[in-house]
Amino acid sequence: MRHARIMLDGRELEISIDCHDRITTSTGEVLEVALDSDRITWLPPVKEPGTIFALGINYADHASELAFEPPKEPLIFIKHANTLTGHKQVSYRPDNIDYQHYECELVAVIGKSGKNIKREDALDYVAGYTVCNDFAIRDYLENYYRPNLRVKSRDSLLPMGPWIVDTADIADANALQLTTTVNGKVTQEGTTRDMIFDVPFVIEYLSKIMTLNPGDMICTGTPHGIVDCQPGDTIVCTIENVCSLETRMVSEQEYYGDNY
Amino acid sequence: MTANTLVNSKLVCVALNDRAQLAALDETFNQPPYKKPPTQPVLYYKPRNTWSVDGAAVEWAKDFDGNEVPAMVVGASLGVVIGKKTCRVSVAEALDHVGGYTIVADYSLPEQSYYRPDIKGKCLDTSAPVGPEIVAAEHIANPDQLKVSISVNGEQKSLFPLSNMARSAAELISIISHIMTLQPGEIIAVGFAGDRVPVARGDKVEAQIEGVGTLTNTLGGA
Repeated sequence: MRHARIMLDGRELEISIDCHDRITTSTGEVLEVALDSDRITWLPPVKEPGTIFALGINYADHASELAFEPPKEPLIFIKHANTLTGHKQVSYRPDNIDYQHYECELVAVIGKSGKNIKREDALDYVAGYTVCNDFAIRDYLENYYRPNLRVKSRDSLLPMGPWIVDTADIADANALQLTTTVNGKVTQEGTTRDMIFDVPFVIEYLSKIMTLNPGDMICTGTPHGIVDCQPGDTIVCTIENVCSLETRMVSEQEYYGDNY
Repeated sequence: MTANTLVNSKLVCVALNDRAQLAALDETFNQPPYKKPPTQPVLYYKPRNTWSVDGAAVEWAKDFDGNEVPAMVVGASLGVVIGKKTCRVSVAEALDHVGGYTIVADYSLPEQSYYRPDIKGKCLDTSAPVGPEIVAAEHIANPDQLKVSISVNGEQKSLFPLSNMARSAAELISIISHIMTLQPGEIIAVGFAGDRVPVARGDKVEAQIEGVGTLTNTLGGA
């Protein structure tokens, strides 16, 4: 089963989607609408977002491409819910920068509180998986708490969804094809098999430091194949058997409107 | 997360905002891995599992082998509480968006490096007490003239005049609001004394700002 949050005809709904793409609301109402309908506005799939953890340099190939030693410990940073947006929504490119790239990532959504969770029990704490696009602005990188908040914690720069797939429906999260297209052209191809630190490892690691809670998210990093994105581009991040996440880039002025 | 935390949604802390600390680290910051001093505010989150309240015990951290860590430190900051939606505001209008002020204590492992996000050091459960209350903004004429003190077991260990901050509260609100839209109840800890105060299990720690209050916590609760 898949789970999402949508706006439909002015109503905010929590929905489940079965294997025949039939949509049922949390109150049992069956919706007569197709999944690709323009009537649906997709919201970020986690209703009460908690702490969003993201991994840097977590794919062996990406690490070698960037001429880094593969890390011995995960590089983890925190993003806030202000970054979240949904499927088929917009993300903005700041003015006067040279390089903003997508990062297609598998996301594990925590479903149960826990501390000191053992790796072998870790998936019991995962409600499900989704896809995110963890945009980064390389121009803003500084060597202080890198990747710094100015790079990674901006409004709208973490599209996520469209839905969460139950953990039980993904036989092996370490064997999923990952693909990104920009304006229909494939720019990134990889597999979650190349992750350096997988979801159970990261859950064990983080939960030695702190309590994980329902609504926390772990964005697991991206493989090689990142390219610059411009306003007007449409980016689709896909992870096999999980979902495809579409994002349209806009300018800073278009995004902020009157607040620009 | 403590249910009655004063924080809504987000607690952003500003590191390295003590001019004396920046000057002392200047040589270090001109070498790898930093290569040059920061040009922007150095920010980190205290996530929701860290949020706690006045009077609460702060857990003594454990290392990855399950043993108690040898050392912890505390810093204290003025907490600027956002009063209304704050998106891309100028320095001149920034303080109009403040609803009130409080005190943020940041318990952590000693700060050894600023190069990577300090998840291990900063994200410990119960390590960010905030309080004792939120004082309405109208009662604080100039936040940058306040002084933050830390006492351990009744003895003052640190006194930080906010006039020594590299960036003022208004400058920080403006800069941060151009990175992320701030919402009512979100809190910015605008600056800590560069020298964090060592603490030991059982210590009673009081973080105090005249006119804002005293935030009292004890170390070592499980």
